[in-house]
Amino acid sequence: MLKGIAASEGIGIGKVIVIRDQDVTYEQKTVANPEEEVKRLHDAVDEFMVKTERLAEDMEKSVNPKEAQIIRGHMEMLEDPFMVSQMDDMIKDEGMCAEAAAETVLNMFKAMFEGVEDELIQQRATDIEDIKSRLLKILLGIAEADLKTLPPETVLVVGDLTPSMTAELNKDNVAAIVTESGGMTSHSAILSRALEIPAVLSVLNATATLRDGATVIVDGSNGVVINDPTVDEAEEYKKKQAEYFAEKERLRAYIGKESLTADGIKKDVFCNIGNPKDGIKAKEKDGEGVGLFRTEFLFMDRDSVPNEEEQYEAYKKVCDTLANKTVIIRTLDVGGDKEIPYMNLPKEENPFLGYRAVRYCLQNKDQFSLQLRALIRANADTSGNLWIMVPMITTVSEFKEVKAFVEELAAELDMPVPKVGTMVETPAAFMIADKLAKYCDFFSIGTNDLTQYIMAADRGNSKVAYLYNTYDPAVLRAIRQIIETGVEGGIPVGMCGEAAADPLLIPLLISFGLTEFSVSPTSVLKTRAEIARWSKAEADHIAETVMALETAEEAYEQLKSFVRG
Amino acid sequence: MVSKTMKLVNAQGLHMRPAQVFAAEMKNFECDVNLECNGKKANGKSLMMIMACAMKCGMEVNIQCDGPDEEAALAKAVELIESGFGED
Repeated sequence: MLKGIAASEGIGIGKVIVIRDQDVTYEQKTVANPEEEVKRLHDAVDEFMVKTERLAEDMEKSVNPKEAQIIRGHMEMLEDPFMVSQMDDMIKDEGMCAEAAAETVLNMFKAMFEGVEDELIQQRATDIEDIKSRLLKILLGIAEADLKTLPPETVLVVGDLTPSMTAELNKDNVAAIVTESGGMTSHSAILSRALEIPAVLSVLNATATLRDGATVIVDGSNGVVINDPTVDEAEEYKKKQAEYFAEKERLRAYIGKESLTADGIKKDVFCNIGNPKDGIKAKEKDGEGVGLFRTEFLFMDRDSVPNEEEQYEAYKKVCDTLANKTVIIRTLDVGGDKEIPYMNLPKEENPFLGYRAVRYCLQNKDQFSLQLRALIRANADTSGNLWIMVPMITTVSEFKEVKAFVEELAAELDMPVPKVGTMVETPAAFMIADKLAKYCDFFSIGTNDLTQYIMAADRGNSKVAYLYNTYDPAVLRAIRQIIETGVEGGIPVGMCGEAAADPLLIPLLISFGLTEFSVSPTSVLKTRAEIARWSKAEADHIAETVMALETAEEAYEQLKSFVRG
Repeated sequence: MVSKTMKLVNAQGLHMRPAQVFAAEMKNFECDVNLECNGKKANGKSLMMIMACAMKCGMEVNIQCDGPDEEAALAKAVELIESGFGED
């Protein structure tokens, strides 16, 4: 079994065809007639333009107009006055052959782009590599690898999938793609997702390990490639594949649609994300915003607190990705089960009841101000839909202190004050929710911690795991009361725990009046589909029955019979 | 020569598409157009050079136009940057 990056979901089973990089080496020779050599270069450039335009047109039909723009960008890059004129100069002044002149100039731009501290522009270096290889092939008279006539059920194995390869691909015949390089945001990944072909990227030595004609299974959802599967494995994955297709077909109807209950009440389905790159996933999976951006990733796996600039870049990136959509960012939730060594938090008897999250931040205001300033700036420099969410609030004065601090920093920066709300996850916050609602711009219910605190049962302790249950009437009552209190106070209430995507709980949440469901990107369409199943009246009927029950088991069984019929 | 320093307002900065629009518009003028930003210089008529400067939102960019139609070129350059290239 080989592992790589799960770049495009789905399961593909087929026979391997390895496409090896073609040899574009040439003999460096001094040219006798520079004028003729310049003409040879210009002819090649013209041919490049014609071929690329044709590729772009193919791509408009086979992929989509947006991806075709990538290819058209190649024409614009080569049309740059500096490009060909510099190549001409090298031929004329230094007697280089057209191949060497083209390679030298393109390599120079590639190095320039690679050296830039901007991911978008760094990625353009792969475009230049693509231009180079195609221009050299034209000059050398080498035919492009033929991807139009691949046999059905091909698993394409390549070093890197270039945009020009993708344009030619007969996608109906490609069961899956495996590459040796590329990450989640590479062209290969974006293109394979646009083509809806399962893909696993960055598989070490894939072109050497996987042999032409061998049967492989590519699990693009989990980043796994199984070489020569056993009969059992093949059966198992065929079943998974059928399930995946059936589910995808069912959910297709919900793509790009508003999230509405059966009787037309508008809800928001947002995403929970853990780093700026997940923002892209949230957008691609049709999330209507971000309901929880955990910022801990920025602070982990390093030796010191990230500076304001670094934080600003990360927050801004997500807001840019989800332009004009709400992005709720949670301030640092350190402590509890999340340890960050350089912060030197002392070992505690009861870390979940100890020095964590906002308690820590308010005692370390210098550090907290870096995060808040970065958030205020990111909000001011984007569409202004960044909301700040404060975790572990237990008292009104804690929240007022945070809010005053945000207002003070925003005044210093002369920037607007973002919306500030609280994550309702402690029993104390739930008991005083009406008071908190006066100061908060929104509530978000964190069901994981709320369940643990309401039930007084450590999530990680298997001896008391039987108590940790979101279906428990105590937890359901707390959820209902928080939502109703927020609604009465005129503020939006969201939920960012696993419960928001639970089909059994969705009718209850609709009945209680929840407006925003924040789920993992892969659950967006499923959640939208579940919301569409229920009208408010049906949901109220379910809630009335379930909320009268006495135990978690009864609630669970009752919900199951309502939801699964 | 005329010049002006201004702030980039479009969210993504001068990445591929806006750089392409900018360079294409500047090619309509006879004068030389140079940009200075992020400690780097670029010919304003070259998409590739502009991209290599990695000009981001919020950065200051100095535009210099030198030649017969320098006033008109600068006015167009300012208009393009101020409009944020039609991005949100």
